[in-house]
Amino acid sequence: MEAILQYVLTGLSVGSVYAMIALGFYVMWSAAKAVNFTYGDVFMLGGVLTVVLVEMGLPLLLAGGGALAIAALAGAVIERVFVRPFNREANAIGWMLTTIAVGIMLESFTTITYGPLGRPLQTPFVEQPIRIGGSGIYPQELILPVALVIVTFALEGFYRRTVLGRAMRAVAFNRVAAGLVGIDADRITLLAFALAGAIGALAGFLIAPVIQASSSMGVVVGLKGFMVAIIAGIANARGVVIVGVVYGVMEKMIEGYLSTAARDAIGFTIMILALLIFPQGLFGRREVQKV
Amino acid sequence: MNASASPILFVSDLRVSYGRIEAVRGVTLTVNKGEFIGVIGSNGAGKTSMLRAIAGVLRPAGGSVAFEGADTTGAKSHQMVARGLAMVPEGRMVFADQTVRDNLVLGAYSRVASDPKGVEEDIEKTLDLFPRLKERIAQQAGTLSGGEQQMLAIARGLLSRPRLLVIDELSLGLAPKILDMLFPVLTDLNRQGLSILLVEQMASYALAVTHRTYVMENGRVLFDGASADLAGDDRVLDAYLGRRGKH
Repeated sequence: MEAILQYVLTGLSVGSVYAMIALGFYVMWSAAKAVNFTYGDVFMLGGVLTVVLVEMGLPLLLAGGGALAIAALAGAVIERVFVRPFNREANAIGWMLTTIAVGIMLESFTTITYGPLGRPLQTPFVEQPIRIGGSGIYPQELILPVALVIVTFALEGFYRRTVLGRAMRAVAFNRVAAGLVGIDADRITLLAFALAGAIGALAGFLIAPVIQASSSMGVVVGLKGFMVAIIAGIANARGVVIVGVVYGVMEKMIEGYLSTAARDAIGFTIMILALLIFPQGLFGRREVQKV
Repeated sequence: MNASASPILFVSDLRVSYGRIEAVRGVTLTVNKGEFIGVIGSNGAGKTSMLRAIAGVLRPAGGSVAFEGADTTGAKSHQMVARGLAMVPEGRMVFADQTVRDNLVLGAYSRVASDPKGVEEDIEKTLDLFPRLKERIAQQAGTLSGGEQQMLAIARGLLSRPRLLVIDELSLGLAPKILDMLFPVLTDLNRQGLSILLVEQMASYALAVTHRTYVMENGRVLFDGASADLAGDDRVLDAYLGRRGKH
């Protein structure tokens, strides 16, 4: 019984990371009908840059804020330079290639400058684990689901209640119509990628104290976040969040009851099966036909 | 309209291509201030492509567009809106997942942050033109009927405070009863000083409300003239008003 509680709690934590990454993919896809496959590395930047800024002497929150700002800027630059020019025609896929390539370059560059090893990020919430029966969980890990809930509701509020958010939905719904009411769809798309960059970096910043910040921390997480988004149906924010959290918990269950080695093999198998049965995603609409 | 009237829109030798297919092959067209201009022609004549190039949705392949005396060739649609040209697109394109009110607010996108009060007043004024929208103000736009969506698309266009309103296929998919309601609204707006460029497949409606009409075929203007004259012109009667028996 205690083991299950442990799996659920750590699962919620890692699932919140997947959910936030998937949410970022949702934000980008909505605006551009393209995504940024460097996104796992933008997530990585959130952790790594915080560590670097802390080592330079900045207080933790300021360092985290700085990392978020830089990641947002990186998201915008990636959109402008590596997505937009390769997404001009309908059904263009050039952006896939460019963003995958840039992601690898980002990771290599980080490995060269920051080093290949992970570095710890000290916060008050990883000093003492909370004991649950035989094992424990760090308070830091419990911050992640809380952050996910806040980000989800904040994002929904932004989309529904602010003019900029409504404009972003208008661009998502119909780019031509958005232009015809005076919305600069290109600018809105740039902002969407910046917003996604900040969300991804926030996840990286929050998980770094638990897993250590390394140049390679983003690769698999980015891929899983993307798969979560696709399985959920990338055009549904709530679905994306639910699937992300559930996938995290499921992973921890597999880890606990079978083995860590079995985790990704079984996890990805389930993802593929889900996609086979629900080609539009569990919560999806027919996105392709709409375009 | 006399020769000394100043043009609000002057389109010269406009060309639009999709790859190697030329949809518009050198159209020249003028809308003078205060005019209500119609463009008729059969399906595929290049009318929509021409409008899209004027409104900045498409980049023209050649020729020029001048709005209020300034060259706007190749300007983007959001820039044209800022300059005072609004387009009501074919198929309405209302934001179906947002409420009627939010659609209207987005119509005033460029000034809603700086002048929320003025936008509120404009929304009220615009709703007076279309009382049906007032009843549905909190509904999702996607739940409106086709006619109501067309009203919303026009209202949304008006909220950018345009000096030229460009409308693509007003009648598409709408019942005559709705059209009998929509066209008088346009006539009123025109009488209040709004210049209108209307592309319309239902030639009889367009000829009845506009001052002048251009007839387009195969990407070119075949001829143009006062709408009242064209309504009695043999070429128009045969091709667009469905008169039979004479060839």
